[in-house]
Amino acid sequence: MNTQAIGILFLKDLYLSRRPLFAYFAAGILSSAVSVIPQPTVAFVGFILILTVAIGSGMHLLGELLLGEGSDQTRTFILSLPVSLLDYSLAKIAVVLTTFLIPWFTMLACSIVLTAVLPWSKAGAIPVLVVVFFELLASYALQLVTAVISDSVGWTIAVMVAGNVFLNLFLMALFQNPEVSESMKGAVPTLSPLLVKIICVEVAIIVVALGLAVAMQVRKRDLV
Amino acid sequence: MIHEAGVAVSTKTESAITFSHVSKRYRHFTLSDISLDFPRGTVVGLIGPNGAGKSTIMRIMMGLVAPDSGAVSVLGQPISSNQATAKREIGYFSEDMRLYKRESIGWHLQFVRSVFPGWDDDYASQLLSRFGLNPEQQVKGLSQGQRVKAVLLLILARRPQLLILDEPTNGLDPVARHEILTELMRVVEDENRTVLFSSHNTQDVEKLSDSITFIDRGRVIASRGRDEFLEQWRRIRLQAPAEWNIPAMPGMRLESQFRSQRVISMDQFDQAALDTLQASGATLEGVERMTLEEIFVSCVMRGREETSP
Repeated sequence: MNTQAIGILFLKDLYLSRRPLFAYFAAGILSSAVSVIPQPTVAFVGFILILTVAIGSGMHLLGELLLGEGSDQTRTFILSLPVSLLDYSLAKIAVVLTTFLIPWFTMLACSIVLTAVLPWSKAGAIPVLVVVFFELLASYALQLVTAVISDSVGWTIAVMVAGNVFLNLFLMALFQNPEVSESMKGAVPTLSPLLVKIICVEVAIIVVALGLAVAMQVRKRDLV
Repeated sequence: MIHEAGVAVSTKTESAITFSHVSKRYRHFTLSDISLDFPRGTVVGLIGPNGAGKSTIMRIMMGLVAPDSGAVSVLGQPISSNQATAKREIGYFSEDMRLYKRESIGWHLQFVRSVFPGWDDDYASQLLSRFGLNPEQQVKGLSQGQRVKAVLLLILARRPQLLILDEPTNGLDPVARHEILTELMRVVEDENRTVLFSSHNTQDVEKLSDSITFIDRGRVIASRGRDEFLEQWRRIRLQAPAEWNIPAMPGMRLESQFRSQRVISMDQFDQAALDTLQASGATLEGVERMTLEEIFVSCVMRGREETSP
């Protein structure tokens, strides 16, 4: 493994995705701000915007940085440079994860801070926000491993659609749960045993999916 | 600079590229038991029809595709385990290679420059001027000829020991093709540099190559020096009676037949072959040299006839 090569490839992809990354970063801050406006309809729109930015940025950057390199035939150019398949694979997975985490973390941090600081917000909602954000990250990790294994836009979109359907069912079940809905009304953040269990499952999915993505990518024999 | 500490590209081995019994199977195509040995400092032309396996061979050389069996060594490095080291001294062009369309030629120059310590700024500037390229121009606005020139610039300015060029002149207009070939002729003047390039245009290959390998349907059908090909092949025109059959001689193939006239192509041509033909009842009308394209077509057809059931 050549860390210098990985660094150069990582920075190259970060530079190439600078424009959409900045747009998603700004949209993430805006969505988080809208979601804490003390007007239920507007706050709901803000929440939907957060989900949209997370899902949109994931699919866009995954498509552009990972899948696009195959369809745009720029992968041959990059692999003609003195890099091994391992260097290329690690750099690629690191950058698609980083570019998702930048708007994801921005929105998570903004949402937590605004919810904690604004007088009309209920700090009890913070643990639920964390659960929802980790669900989005887990869904993205599954899309990532699908993209790596299949190298197919179609399969990746199929997993994204399945993830979105599951997200809706998940949110419905989460908000209808009496324990969760009660804790959201509290002035103090409380991590109930149910939320801890959900976060553990989400983290496990993320770790397994990312490990699988790296393992599958470095095992590939033909990259063009 | 990207390099693996303590590992250097070997300059001691005489072979630039070695293929030993390499096979690769796809659903509709198989590269069968390819063994090749290209010495350093030579210019090798790889000629084959579309779909013959030229690009697959070159991708295997670059480690972009892994063979199912066999061993590949490039510049003394086993490509399966040391491809990053080998690629430090390889310039690879593929006709399906694309640059980042939203970035400029200048951005690509800076990016590749950051990877290669031996990057030659003066040579890069000369090539920009010779190829008429504007470093500020975005890749998406380039014509095909300009795109090929831009990629070649990125390859040549790093001064690699080995150039692997997959169809560099394919689809170019005559002027762009001339410019590319002129630059490649300058490059091949450097006797220490090995160049392997593929084409189905035999004229381009004939201009540049010291030796030539013909490929068809995933197999090597002939490989020798360019001048050997041109010296050893002849077309023979004969008059022969209707019942006449071509004598069984290695390398001889009936190309065409019209009434009593027969046209035969022959590898390893010599006077004894002519004597045998005349002794068989045919009357000699003429012996002609063949072009590389004619030799290639004859080799391909002979190979297909030998392998067809």
